[in-house]
Order: sequence, then structure tokens, then C-alpha cells
Amino acid sequence: MTPPPAKRQKRDEYRKQAAATNPDGSTTTTTTETSLPARVKLPKKKFYRQRAHANPFSDHQLQYPLSPAHMDWASHFPAYVNPDPSQTNLIGTRKLLKDVEIVDIGCGFGGLLVGLAPLLPETLMVGMEIRVSVLDYLSTRIQALRAQQQQLQLTQSSTTTAQAATDTTAAPAAESTAMEPEPSTETPTTTEATTTDPATTTTTTTDEPTEPTTLVPGGYQNITAIRSNTMKFFPNFFAKHQLSKIFICFPDPHFKARKHKARIVSETLNAEYAYALRPGGLLYTITDVEEYHHWVLRHFREGEDAAAVDGAAGTVKELFERLTDEELARDPCVRVMSEETEESKKVTRNKGNKYVAVFRRKEDPAWPA
Amino acid sequence: MAFNFQYPFQCVQFVQRPQAKLLLASAGPRLYSYSAETGQRLASWPQDTGSSDQEPPEKKRKVSTAEAGPVEEPETAEKTEKSKVPPAWSNIPIVTSTSNGEYAIAVTGEDKCIRVFQLQDDGSFQQLSERIMPKRPSSIALTSDETTILCADKFGDVHSLPLIPSNEKPAVAPRPNREAKLSHPAATNLTVHTKGNLRALEQQLELAKKKKEAGEDKSGPSFEHHLLLGHVSLLTDMLFVSLPSDTHKRTYILTADRDEHIRVSRGPPQAHVIENYCLGHTAFISKICVPRDAPEYLISGGGDNYLMVWNWTEGRALHKVPLVEDSSAAEVVVRGIWATTLGDLRLILVALDGSSQLQCFTLEADGSLKPQTPLDLTGNVLAVTSIEKDNTLLISVDSVRTAGSTNEWRASPSAPSTLIAAFRVQQSSEGSLGWEPTLQSATGAINAAGTVEIPATTEDKKRGELNDLLYAMSKLRKTPRGGDDE
Repeated sequence: MTPPPAKRQKRDEYRKQAAATNPDGSTTTTTTETSLPARVKLPKKKFYRQRAHANPFSDHQLQYPLSPAHMDWASHFPAYVNPDPSQTNLIGTRKLLKDVEIVDIGCGFGGLLVGLAPLLPETLMVGMEIRVSVLDYLSTRIQALRAQQQQLQLTQSSTTTAQAATDTTAAPAAESTAMEPEPSTETPTTTEATTTDPATTTTTTTDEPTEPTTLVPGGYQNITAIRSNTMKFFPNFFAKHQLSKIFICFPDPHFKARKHKARIVSETLNAEYAYALRPGGLLYTITDVEEYHHWVLRHFREGEDAAAVDGAAGTVKELFERLTDEELARDPCVRVMSEETEESKKVTRNKGNKYVAVFRRKEDPAWPA
Repeated sequence: MAFNFQYPFQCVQFVQRPQAKLLLASAGPRLYSYSAETGQRLASWPQDTGSSDQEPPEKKRKVSTAEAGPVEEPETAEKTEKSKVPPAWSNIPIVTSTSNGEYAIAVTGEDKCIRVFQLQDDGSFQQLSERIMPKRPSSIALTSDETTILCADKFGDVHSLPLIPSNEKPAVAPRPNREAKLSHPAATNLTVHTKGNLRALEQQLELAKKKKEAGEDKSGPSFEHHLLLGHVSLLTDMLFVSLPSDTHKRTYILTADRDEHIRVSRGPPQAHVIENYCLGHTAFISKICVPRDAPEYLISGGGDNYLMVWNWTEGRALHKVPLVEDSSAAEVVVRGIWATTLGDLRLILVALDGSSQLQCFTLEADGSLKPQTPLDLTGNVLAVTSIEKDNTLLISVDSVRTAGSTNEWRASPSAPSTLIAAFRVQQSSEGSLGWEPTLQSATGAINAAGTVEIPATTEDKKRGELNDLLYAMSKLRKTPRGGDDE
């Protein structure tokens, strides 16, 4: 799919500019230091649009670690790097203080991650997306959100009294502001506690009345995004029983029957999810396609009646049980999933239905006698 | 008088029966049995095809449902060979047998068909069943009780099917899941919004209605089979391993794929429980091997210029064994890894695509592989089978292509072609290994009898196709591309 030249050119220019811009402010450091107040803006989605489908069977040009022990998480979660530099993984990059625990498969523009980040500020989450442009957007967005948070932190620590009063809710409100993002290449982001970035410190004295964000717990340091084909390379990223939650939100429905192997939920793939999920861990699904919902139910639980469930021994279904509606109502993640993802907003706009199903990973069965 | 080339043996399998020693071998579209002692050809399958109106075999492709199997009914038992119809396949890439030599299993290429044969002491064999799989099988294994065939396919799935199909009318296996038997499209006007898509939806609804009226309903293969596990990748090899444990025997299925994974799953009925992965290759994996006498080790190889030895129950890499001295040399493709015990030696034999050398290693107690003198042959090594009682290896050799090449044909066929060679291991007093030719009368008889002829005048295009059939693995390598799919 080649967009018209004019559009592509605009997009390239925008992204080039985005790459030239650093999170501390505008394009040149001189202006930052002298006049303009540093204002990190979120990227604009319209420059990162991409066709909604990707072929999961093609090779793409993917980067993936040899094994979970070869994964460089430190560049993704600079705030959680183990302070002991001797703690390195198999490719020599620093280890983290904790493991990634939550995965959003097919995270798209990242609405779920951004929504969950303040909800579980101490849990590391990663979104996985196969489409390059969308991933670029999300990486830029996360960097911008982090930079905003750091600026706010500094602003608040210097003008504690003024800012605290004007705090409003909703971090995602930052969505409305847009323009220059941070480059998607990972620049070392220092932790909140130790920020001494000269560019930022010079500008912190300037008040920023137009910045609508507030400090959120975790400061978005706990979310990141990776380009990957999870259908092929999930076990390259996550070790056995590493994860506590997996989200599959509004998956590509692959309507045609002969495309069904391309669906992200299937009995054979569910075995891989079960491998990465710890017993007691949850797998969340939401879709607006009713047939897909039934498909999901079929592939995790045979129907809803007990008799059919008993017959599930010998298939992957014996590894999962479905959560009841009461349990769903108590889980704040379900609310975020059904209200804050981009796709769920779109479904709401179009007055579509949303079908939620959450499954709990059970213990592995005993070895057969 | 011009000689013709002979199809080399793609598979060789030594079969020890209570009363006889047989050698099964496939060459081109045919399967042969020989006496392993005299080299006399005992039988061949299919019977001679006299007709000349050859139709090129076509790859079957289904359009309707993702999982729907072929339309044909599996023909059960003892149908007389249709002598006039040319076979629907051009090669037999997989030949294996039960350990007691009672049954042989062969997979024919283009028609994706698993065929089970009953073997007799006199070397004759009779086809008991043919089952056409939904996707092309890449590996076949038998469970330890040898009543179930496991079939790994190029779609990434592993199916189980009984060795001998029961006589009862084929109970269609309960596998409704991947077939979404949709009488109407899954999309609705709640999920489709653009004008074009709405129009497409209308058409689909229309079509679905028509189909319903016509009563069309395609379903999967009608014989009993179960989906055990699946990768979203092409499966290249599979093993079934049973490990003795304190209380019970534990069984495992090991699957290797093109995307560098080796998955260790439990054996049926718990094949959905993944125990771990062996990750460490950087190119596709083409062969995995668990020595029968040292089942705690797994040896794997593929597009990397090294082998890996694993403690596979823990997913831990133990050793990396270089396969070529000059690591910048041409790209390596491991064709086969065979483990055999000759005398008190645990040998690991490795053949590379387009190499006339059979590399030999001894498997040491700590799992390391000690290189031994390699065995040089007159042509590319294609397959190896061992007669452990006689400390002997039978090696199939490509006499069509020049040694060391997967595409250069020899200038002229030699007569008789060397199709198979036999060697007996010699251990010198210093402990180094040597090989001496053996069974020369038997191999001579096999070579003299020949196989199916390939005319020496074969055109380049056809030659290329034949090369690709025999040396297909290198195609699995991922080619770096410039741009990406945006």
C-alpha cells in the first residue's frame, strides 16, 4: 500500500521533525534554553496510519531475542534497571529489578497500556504490535508521556503549591495536545528521582498553564511497546509462567474461514499463552464480532455448560476456566479494556456491541498415570 | 548407447524382521524393498505403470475452508493397484517402519498421503490404508506403543491418527473448532462501516444463502485424526520420546520449526501442555535427533553452521558443535542427523546438503560431541540407516549431481550408478575410528538393479525441479529484504 506522494512526503517530514526533536522542547537547544518553555507534545496519529491488517505468516523484518534471557528490557524500562551493573543478561545488557508481567497482544495505538499504566503503577507492561507505523506512534507517545511526567514532576517540586491545586483527572486527556514527539529511538531517560537534565532545569521555573496533564502514579515508566509477531515469537520474549495477564483486545477478526489459522486465538496458540501465563494468571479478550466471541469461548471452554467442560480433558481447554460476571465487574482492567482502548471507543461511536471473556489459567494437570 | 541417470534413494530404512533383514528405500515415485543381505530386489511399489500419458502432479489447494480436508475418501485396504494410472506423486520423502518390521509407513509427496503397508518376510508389501492429510506432512513419528502415527505438517500442526484405521465407519473426529461452519458471514453491519465493505457483506450474505440452498458443506478428512498441537510456522521435524521416570514413563513430543524454535510438549493426551522451549539457533532448524541410548540429550541442526546439544527436558543448551572449519564458508544446511550405537560407540552422523562427506562424532558422557574422521563418499550423502548388529552403515548417495553440489549434474551417467554404499566401523587401538567398505556384493546388486531412470537428456528446467525436490531445505532460509510491509 503506497500512499499518495504528497501524503507520504508530509508524513516523512513530520517524522523527521519528530526525530530531530528531543523531549526537552523544540528543535534546537538554543531556543529551549533561552526563550521557549519546554512543552512535550504527543504525536499525531494521522501521520502514523497503517492498513489494519498484517500477514502473520510472512517473515517481515522482525527483531526478536534469541530467548527470554537474551531480551534487552533495560532500554525499554530505564526506571527499573537494576542498579547493580554486574547484573546482566545473556547479551550483556542490564537486568531489571522485576520481570515484565503484562502483555497486550496487538496493542495498536496503545490505549490500553496508557489506561492501565496508572492503575498498576508498579507492574511492567509491554504492548506488542506487528505494524511498523503504529508501533512508531506508540513508542513516540510513550516517550512523550514519560517526558511530560518528568517535567511535571520538576515543575511541581519547584512550584509545589501552585500546581497541586490545578490538578484535574484523566491522564489520557493529554491525547488532545499533539505535535512534536520524542524520537522513537530510545534515548536514555533518567528516573524521576535523579533528573538533572540541564535543558529541563533551565525551563522548570516557567509555569505551563496550557499543559493539561497531571502526575500519574508510575509516570508511564512501566509501559513500553515492541514490534513483534506474537503468533511466532511469543516464547522468545517470555519464559514459562512469567506473565500474570495477557490482553487480546479487538483482534483482527479474519472473517474468511480459510484465514482462521491467522486468528490470534486458537487452541494451538492458547497452549503458548498457557505456557507463558502463570497459574492463576488471566487472559482477557474483548471483541465486537459476535462470531469471534463464540470462537474464543469455543477455543478456551467448550460451551458454557458443565458437561461439555468435563469433556475438555485432553485439550488445551483443561488449562483455562472462565471468570464469572461478578469477577469481571470487580476487575478494573476490564473497564479500561472496554472503555479506553482506541478500538473500543470506535465501537462505542458506531454503537456496536462489545463481548468480553476473561479466562484464568489453571494449574497444569498431573502427568498421566 | 547412452545411459540414463537413476533416481537416487531419497530414504533408506533398514528393517529387522524376526526372520528377515530388509532394506526399504524410496527413489523417485517408487518404493522398493531389498534383502539387506544379498541386495536382491524383492518388491517394488506401485506396480509398473505402463501408461505414457503422464499428467504432472498438481499441488492440491483448497479454497473453501482453512482446515477442510481433501474431498477424496480414503480408500481402505487392498484395492488393486490401478496399473494404468500414473502415480499422483513424484517422490516419497518419508519412509519409516515399526520396530518389529510389521508395518511400513510412507508419505507420498504431492498428494500429501500417508500410506501404511504391511510387510512380509519375503519383502513383499501391501498397502493397507492411504490417508490424505490436509497439509503436506514434513515428519512422521510413531508413539511408543506403535499404534498411533503422529504427523507434523508444513502448516505447523501435529495430528495423531491410528496406525491401523478401525473398520467402523470413519467416526469423524470431534474437531469442530477450527472449522467455523458458518452458514452466514461473521461480519455484521455492526462491525462493518465503510460503503465498500457493506457492499461486500451484502454479497457474502447472498452467497451464503445460495450455498445453504445448495446444501454445500465441506468438511475435513473423514478418517479419525486429532489435532494435538500447532506452531504458527512450518514444522520441519518432530520426535516422539519416552523417558523412563521413577514412577511412570513420561512421553514427549518434540517439534522443530522454521522460526528457530524447538518446542517440548507432553505426549498425548496432554500435548497442549508445553514443558519448555530449546531456543538458541539463529536460522531454521531442519533436523532434531534424540539418541535412543542417551535420551537425555537432543541434537539439533539446520541453517546454522553448528549443531546444538541440549538438555531438552530443561530447555538448556549444553554444547555448540561447529560443522565447518571455515565459518565464512558457504551456507550450511543440515540434511540429516542420525544417532546409532555401533559396538560400544555412540555415534552421531551428520550430513549436509550438497556434501559428499558424512561427518562423524562420538557422543561423550557429558553430551559433548567429539569429532571423528569423516566418511567420504562418491556423491552427496542423502540418507543413512544402520544395521547395528553388524556395526554397519548403509548410506544413500546422489549419483546424479556432482559431489559437493546441489544443482550441478554430472556430465554423463555412470553405469552402474552408485546408489548405496555400506561401511563397517573399525576402532583402532588408539581409539580413533576408521571405516571399511562392506556388504559389497549386496550394494553391488542394488546399484546394478538401478531404480527409475531419469533421461540423460532431461532439460534444465526439469532438472531444477528435481533438484528442488531433493534439496528443499535451503529454501527455508529467510532472505533479508529491503523494505518492510507498510
